[in-house]
Amino acid sequence: MKTLPRSSQNQFYRIFLGAVLLGLCLSSFSQTIPLEVPKSTDYPGIIQTFEKLIQIDSEKIAKRKEILIKANRLFNNSQTTSGLDLEPDFLNSIILHSDSGYLRMASTSRCRFYEALLTDLLRSSEGKITNILITYQDKDKQHSSIISKKDFLNKVVNLDCPNTQKLIASFQVKTLQNTLQGIKFDIPTGIDQCRNTHLAWLNNSHTPFLCQIHEYIKESKSGAGDPKELESRRAIAEILDEKLTMMQKDYLENLCQHLDDEEIFCEEFLNVSYWTKIAGGYESQFTVQDICSKALGTDVLSASQIASCLNRLKKEQDLCHYPKGISGIKPQPDCDHLSTALNYSSYKPTFNDCPASSDQLIATNVVRILSHFIPTQLTIPTAGPCSGITNASIYGFNQKFDNDENWKLEACYADKLLERDVCFKTYFGDIKNDPAAFTSVVAEILKRTRGADPSLTCDMVDSKDYSPVLLKFRSGCYITYETQNCWVSSCKHKITLNDRPIDFIKVKGDTALPYFPLTVKDERFSQNYILTKDFKRNPTSIFNLAGITKFFKKVQGGIVHGVGCAEDLLPSFFKSMAMNQCSPLPFVINGMIREKDKVAFVLRTSVDSLSAPRLISWSTLYSAVKGYQKIQPLKQWTLYGLD
Amino acid sequence: MVLISFIICFIYNLEAAELPKLLTKHPAESLRYISYDGRYTYIQKKSGVLSLVTSFTSTDFLTDETGNDFLIKGSADKSRLIIESIPNPHSEMSMLKNHRIFVIDYGNTSPRFIGQGRNAKIHLRDEWVTYYDMLDKTIRVQNLITQRKFDIKLSAKPHPFFIPDIEMLSSSSLIYTEINEAGFSALVAYDLKSLKSTIIYKSAQNATRLELCRNENYLALGEFPYDGVSRGSKIQILAVRDFTNLSSMSSLYDSVEQDVGNILCLKKEVYFVKMITQDQRLGIKVTEAVKIDLNTKTTTLVSDLKNVTQLIEMDGRVLAPFRGDFYVIEGTSSLEVDVLKSIPTKEELPLEI
Repeated sequence: MKTLPRSSQNQFYRIFLGAVLLGLCLSSFSQTIPLEVPKSTDYPGIIQTFEKLIQIDSEKIAKRKEILIKANRLFNNSQTTSGLDLEPDFLNSIILHSDSGYLRMASTSRCRFYEALLTDLLRSSEGKITNILITYQDKDKQHSSIISKKDFLNKVVNLDCPNTQKLIASFQVKTLQNTLQGIKFDIPTGIDQCRNTHLAWLNNSHTPFLCQIHEYIKESKSGAGDPKELESRRAIAEILDEKLTMMQKDYLENLCQHLDDEEIFCEEFLNVSYWTKIAGGYESQFTVQDICSKALGTDVLSASQIASCLNRLKKEQDLCHYPKGISGIKPQPDCDHLSTALNYSSYKPTFNDCPASSDQLIATNVVRILSHFIPTQLTIPTAGPCSGITNASIYGFNQKFDNDENWKLEACYADKLLERDVCFKTYFGDIKNDPAAFTSVVAEILKRTRGADPSLTCDMVDSKDYSPVLLKFRSGCYITYETQNCWVSSCKHKITLNDRPIDFIKVKGDTALPYFPLTVKDERFSQNYILTKDFKRNPTSIFNLAGITKFFKKVQGGIVHGVGCAEDLLPSFFKSMAMNQCSPLPFVINGMIREKDKVAFVLRTSVDSLSAPRLISWSTLYSAVKGYQKIQPLKQWTLYGLD
Repeated sequence: MVLISFIICFIYNLEAAELPKLLTKHPAESLRYISYDGRYTYIQKKSGVLSLVTSFTSTDFLTDETGNDFLIKGSADKSRLIIESIPNPHSEMSMLKNHRIFVIDYGNTSPRFIGQGRNAKIHLRDEWVTYYDMLDKTIRVQNLITQRKFDIKLSAKPHPFFIPDIEMLSSSSLIYTEINEAGFSALVAYDLKSLKSTIIYKSAQNATRLELCRNENYLALGEFPYDGVSRGSKIQILAVRDFTNLSSMSSLYDSVEQDVGNILCLKKEVYFVKMITQDQRLGIKVTEAVKIDLNTKTTTLVSDLKNVTQLIEMDGRVLAPFRGDFYVIEGTSSLEVDVLKSIPTKEELPLEI
C-alpha cells in the first residue's frame, strides 16, 4: 500500500483541533492560565515558534508534576470527589504531542478521547501517558492531582463511558479473534462512499483499540520503547499479528495513519491497482483466474503463480485481453483499464455467467441485477452448460412472480394414449432439486415413457468429456451437449439412457422475454416491470449526467440498468452498415469515477464478462440509450437506477 | 512512418462546420433506405412491416414475423438491395442470432429469400451476395443470377461475436477478415475456382480488427484497435488494377492513436471515425468523423458531434447516425421538397432477376 510521510500532516491542525478538544473535554478551561508566549525566539519563523511552544510545554508539565508530587497530591482512590477533569495544561500537552489523526478521532466524542488516551494513542510531553494530571472539586474547592491510568479508568471513564470497559474486554488476546470477526472492514468503491467509510471509522468505538494493535505491532517491530520489555512485547505483538489477516493489517495501517486525511485514506483504496488489492487479500482472486490461467498456461494456479501473475498484470497491459475460455466478448480492455473499472465497481463477481454462451442477453442482464441484490440466493450449478446459472435464475425469477406462463421453452414427447404432445416447461441446466431443470424434465419423461426407475436422475455432460467407452457412461441417463452450441434458448444435445440414444424428446419454443414493455397491454410481463413492481426495487429514471451522479451519491453501491445500441456502446465490435441499425444491448452500471470535472461509469454490457467491466462516458451512454429509444416500439426511455 | 502519421494527424482541420441533419418527409427512425434524390424511400411502418414510398404511393411489400426489424443496404450499382429481417429484436436480444436475408430489385417490391446470417452485402454489379452464418461460423457466397453457392467455414470458435468483413474482388475471388485464437487478425483471399484460401496480410499485433471497404477504383484495409485496447490505427489502400497482387498495398494513414475506424470508401476520399482526444485513465474519448483525400493524403475533420461512433454510406451520401438522427457529412441534407420526377429511362429501370 502507498503511504505518505507523516511530515505531510499539518501541524497547525493540532492547534486548531486543540480548541475543539478543550471544548469537549474541559469544562474548566476558562480557569486555566494560558501558555506563556515566549518573549523572544531564537529564530523567527513558524516552525521555530512551534518548537519553542513544545519546549515550554515540556518544562511546564515536568514542573507541574514535580510540584504535585512534592505536595503529595497523588489522587487517592478512596477519595470521594466530584467534577473530575483533565488539567488544562496537561490537555495542551496532549494536543501538542499526539498524532493529528488520533487527535481528530479523539475529538469526535468524550468517550473516544478517553479510549484514545487509555490505548496509548495520545501522548504527552513525556511520551506514553502513565499518569494523568487532573482537576477535581472537593468541598467547593478546585484541586489538582495526579492519577494513575487505572484509577482514571475507574473513577472517570467507567462513569462517563460505560461501554468502554466492555470494549477493553473484547480486545484482549483471548477475545480478539471473535471481535475481529464481527468488525466489517468495508472496501469502498467510490469517493463518496469512501468519505462516509472514513467518517464512520472516526466515530467507531472500535477504532482506538484497532489502532492500538496496529501501533503495538509497529512499535515492537521497530524496537522502540523500553528495551527491557522489548522481548516480551515482541512476543505479544507476534500473537496479535497472527490474529490479523494480511488485508486487515494493510487496512489498519491505512486507517490509523490517515485518520486525519480522508483523501489519502481513499486514495489508498481507489488509486491503488486492483491487482495489488488482490495480492493483499483485499479482493477475491476470481477476476484473475482466467487471465492468469491463460498467461501461465495452466488451469490450476498455486499461490506463488497467482502472485507472479498479479505482478505481471501491473506491467503487461496485453495479458488481460484474451483470458482462458469463452466467458465474454474479447479482447477485454487493457489491464490498467480493467483495474480502474474493478476498483470503482460496487459489484464483485463470484461466478462466471458466460455471456458468450447467451442468445438471450435480457436473461443475462436481469440475472446480473438479481446477483447484485441477492448474491447468495442464486443457485450456481456445479455441472452442465456455463449459461446454467442464467437459465436457472431467470426461470426461477419469472416463476416466482407468476410470469412463467410467458416462458415458452418446453421439452415435449408424444403421448400415444392422449394422442397429443405432452410438454414440460424447462431450461437448459443441471440442478437436481429443480423440477424445471432440463435434467429433471428428461428424467421425468423417461419415467413416464420408458418405465425408468423412480430414482432416475440425468446428468448434463460436455460432449468433450463424454465417452461411451467409459464404464460410468454405460448406465444411467446422460445429456451430452456441445459447449459452443449450448445457449439459453437452444442447446445442441444428445440424450442417452443406459447407453441407448433417446430421440423422442423434442425441445420447442423460445425464451422471448421483453425487457421493457413492447405494448401497453402487456406491460406487466416485461422484466423491468417485474423487477420494480414484484421484486420491489425502487426505480429512478435517469435522463442526464446530474441524475446519474445524484443517484450514485445517494445510493451507495447502487446499480443502474438499461438497454442501448451495441453500435454506440461498443462501436469497434459492432459496426453499423445501414440506417437505424441498432442492436439492443442490455447493460448494468455498477459504479462511478469522478476526477475533477470528468466523470466515467463502470459499465458491464451483457456481452462483457462479469470480470471485465469497462469505463464509459455519459456522452456515449446517453447516445446509446437515446438511439435505442428511437426504435423501441413504445419509444420508452430505458435507463433506470434501482435501489 | 510514425513521424509521417503524426504530421498527417496534425494537418487535419480542427474546425468542422456544424453538420446538417438529414431532413425527409418521414421520421428518422422509420427510414431504412433512401436514394440520393429521395425518389425511393424504404421505411419500416411498424414492427414487421416494410414499405416502399415512391411517386407519392406507399406499398407494404414485406411482412415478416410481428416484432421484426429491418435493415437495408445497397451499393453504388443500384441494381438490387439487400434486406435483413431481425427476428424479435426487443424480446430476444442476442448478438449471436442470424437474420433472415432477402434481396429485392432496386426500387422494386418483390423480395426473394436468400438465407440466414448477418452482415449481408451485395457485390460486383449487385450480382453476388455474401453473408455470415453466425451459428455455423460460415461465410455464404451466392450468385444471384446463376444461383451458384459457396460456403467458407471459419475457425473463429473462441470469438463467438466476431463477424468477418467480406469484399468480392472478382467473380472468382473474394477477400475476408479472420481472427485466430490469440486475437491476431488476418486478411484472407479465397479463390472460388480452386476453393483455396491464402493469408495475404497478418496483423503484427493482436487485439486489433481489420476492416474492408471498396470503391470502383480501390480497396481499403483499415486496422483499428478494439474498445479499451491501447493500439495504433492504420489504413492501407490498393488500386483495382493491382488486385492480382494483394500484398502491394500502400499506406494511407498510420497513427499511434486508438481510432474507432468504421471506414467508408468514396470515390476520392476515405472516411473513418477518429479519436480526437482521450482521457487514458477514465477511457473517455472525443471521436469525430474525418476524411482523407486520396490524392493529397490530407486528413480533414468533418463532424462536430464529439461522440461519433458510426458512419453509413447510402447512395453516395455519407451519414453519421447520432442519438436517433442522421447528420449529413457528404451530400445534400434536405429531401423534404416534393418534386415530380421524370419517368426513369430504360437504363435506370431495375434489372429483373
